[in-house]
Amino acid sequence: MDVGEVVSEFAAVALSIDHDGNGPRLRIEDLKTGHVGYLDALELETLAWLPEGALHPLLDPSLHRWRKPAAGGGTH
Amino acid sequence: MSTVDATIGWDRLIEHDRVHGSLYTDPAVYEAELERIWYRTWVFVGHVSEVPEPNDYVVKSIGPQPVIMSRDKQGEIHLLLNRCTHRANLVCDAARGNSSAFRCPYHGWTFSNTGRLLGYPFNSGYDGREAKRELGLGRVPRVEIYRGFVFGSFADDGPTLLEHLGDAREALDRLVALSPSGELDLSAGWLQHKVKANWKMLVENETDGYHPQFVHSSIFSVAKSGIGDLYGEESTALSRDLGNGHTENDLRPEFRRIDQPLGWFGTTPDRVPGYVAQLEAANGAEKARELMIDGSPHVMLFPNLFIAEIQLFVIQPLAVDETVQHVTAVQYKGSPDMNRRMLQQTIGSVGPAGFLLADDSEMYERNQRGVHARSPEWVVLKRGTHRERLDENGHVVGDATDEVPQRAIWKHYRSLMEAGS
Ligand code: FES
Ligand SMILES: [Fe+2]
Repeated sequence: MDVGEVVSEFAAVALSIDHDGNGPRLRIEDLKTGHVGYLDALELETLAWLPEGALHPLLDPSLHRWRKPAAGGGTH
Repeated sequence: MSTVDATIGWDRLIEHDRVHGSLYTDPAVYEAELERIWYRTWVFVGHVSEVPEPNDYVVKSIGPQPVIMSRDKQGEIHLLLNRCTHRANLVCDAARGNSSAFRCPYHGWTFSNTGRLLGYPFNSGYDGREAKRELGLGRVPRVEIYRGFVFGSFADDGPTLLEHLGDAREALDRLVALSPSGELDLSAGWLQHKVKANWKMLVENETDGYHPQFVHSSIFSVAKSGIGDLYGEESTALSRDLGNGHTENDLRPEFRRIDQPLGWFGTTPDRVPGYVAQLEAANGAEKARELMIDGSPHVMLFPNLFIAEIQLFVIQPLAVDETVQHVTAVQYKGSPDMNRRMLQQTIGSVGPAGFLLADDSEMYERNQRGVHARSPEWVVLKRGTHRERLDENGHVVGDATDEVPQRAIWKHYRSLMEAGS
């Protein structure tokens, strides 16, 4: 079920509810790369309660995406 | 744990061709079985297709033990005990779901779907981070998967799953071979039937070729089914001891004699053209024909998985006189025309208004009441002892209606019970 798109000058994602699994999940598609991620109900509830700034550490571009591959392990 | 009087000895209760009635009624025997069979040997828990997506989970069991089968983000399958490490609440209640973490409803302790304790509310009430590391969910120590079938064992070591299955693993191979895609989809859901009977009544009955013409005569006549004839004196079908308590009614000799593709399923190829085309494309016409003649296995994998051609039964003991049978329809991944028929037949035979399982369940409960009688004390399993023989693989076989399977089950049972003392 399509929820819609959330777009800014920095990012664009499409949201939908995915029912392929044993329970519904929010499907998030990064419209710039096609990369897809999922969040389940408990994770989303947790996000709803995030205090201001709690996501900032995760917004560090070098945390997961733009970083040197670690020896023996890849990035994604 | 066990309160069985060790001086009696299992050999006094289990003989080659008869067993003592107390084995079905004595709560101390049941307690000993939990430790020596259900919490030691390999027990079927679920199928990988029940948790198809990352973070899927289903609620399962190993005997009375509540188990969560989860698939983590990386795709790995875990068998966790569904018991909060705080004060023992059931962590998951829904039969299935999708979540990377589970939050206990009692005080909110939260665990990852790999079992790690992620945290608890009001954490100033606990000191140190140490405790957190030790308070992950309990796990079934050994998990092995064969052809998508997930088995668990509470024993830290012992035979591997393949050693446990032995030659009976071929039953799973044969079952999967009938799926053109080579995969099963066991996500149709599970019906649950509870009976007031000992679990071994069910295990013994699954490969009992002696009862169908009596117990199931009504469904055979209503459905105009020829199945009853497979279990008669004239039948060339075999009863077989596959080793390790696994048993079989091998109907292939009859199906080969009759030589009708899909005759085992009571249908003809023109009724399921999509499936037949798929099976031929995957195997070639000749092999596909062989598969369609031989049909699907009728095998009881000790102690709890019964492959009943187009259904799977999982036996779950809850008390010495209480057992649940979980039933689902076999579905071949990607074969909708055949799947529709298998689902319909499953509903007709084991659904809420079905005949087949209701007939058997009635027998289980009557057996359980009868076996309490003070005399005679023994259950007789002599049928066909004089005509037992070895097949080309060295397995003991008998005629279709013989009690070879029941003797095989008890022989293995006794070895497990004796090993545990
Ligand atoms: S029993 Fe689970 S949080 Fe208390
Ligand atoms: Fe209360």
